[in-house]
Amino acid sequence: MIKIERDPWQVMIEHAEAVFPNECCGAMLGVSDGETKTVTVALPLENVHQGPQAVRYELRPEDLLKAEKEARGRGMDLIGIFHSHPDHDAYFSVTDLKNSCPWYSFVVMSVKAGRYDHAKSFLPNMEQTEAPEEALELPATDRSA
Amino acid sequence: MPKVMIPTPLRQFTDKQDSVEVAGATVSEILGALTTAYPGLKQNLYTDEGKLRSFVNVYVNDEDIRYMNKDKTPVAATDTVTIVPSIAGGR
Repeated sequence: MIKIERDPWQVMIEHAEAVFPNECCGAMLGVSDGETKTVTVALPLENVHQGPQAVRYELRPEDLLKAEKEARGRGMDLIGIFHSHPDHDAYFSVTDLKNSCPWYSFVVMSVKAGRYDHAKSFLPNMEQTEAPEEALELPATDRSA
Repeated sequence: MPKVMIPTPLRQFTDKQDSVEVAGATVSEILGALTTAYPGLKQNLYTDEGKLRSFVNVYVNDEDIRYMNKDKTPVAATDTVTIVPSIAGGR
């Protein structure tokens, strides 16, 4: 299961809504006790896809490297990646799957008409052939419907 | 010996160490020594055909080996090799 604390969740929502109608992306830092991953810091990262960003995102590997270093510096781990689907539901698309990495949780946020709508988390497998849904616990706010 | 930085999710295969030192003069030799010393890493880094998985990027210090000499990129004893995933997507 992955649990996102209130502050990082607010950062993620604000970032997803700010870059709408484009896809946002970022890293989630936190801790894992084996059963539950807890996100305590969200780092919005630049979508560097060279093309229509309303339907695609790409993370700069150097940014992931920096996120990993920042996590280590804070005594945390890089535990997940988030991105948004503007005006679409939060599913793990074929494009998401083909460009995923099995080492992290992938949180997809649906943003409709510029407002956060819902989110789901997925765990892609090693062969990038499937990504079962992972239980996602969001903070109790009026923005986590 | 060169140091290899291990991404968090792979530390379960390196006795929880976040970096390990392995012998080798090229990226290929380093990764070979790494996966020999820690066999659990092999499936994460390589396909069954022995190719580096598409989502695995390797850096020597802060340089991406794709823009250097790929897996033949030389590695000095004082260098740091970092494994970084490649991630993208879209609806």
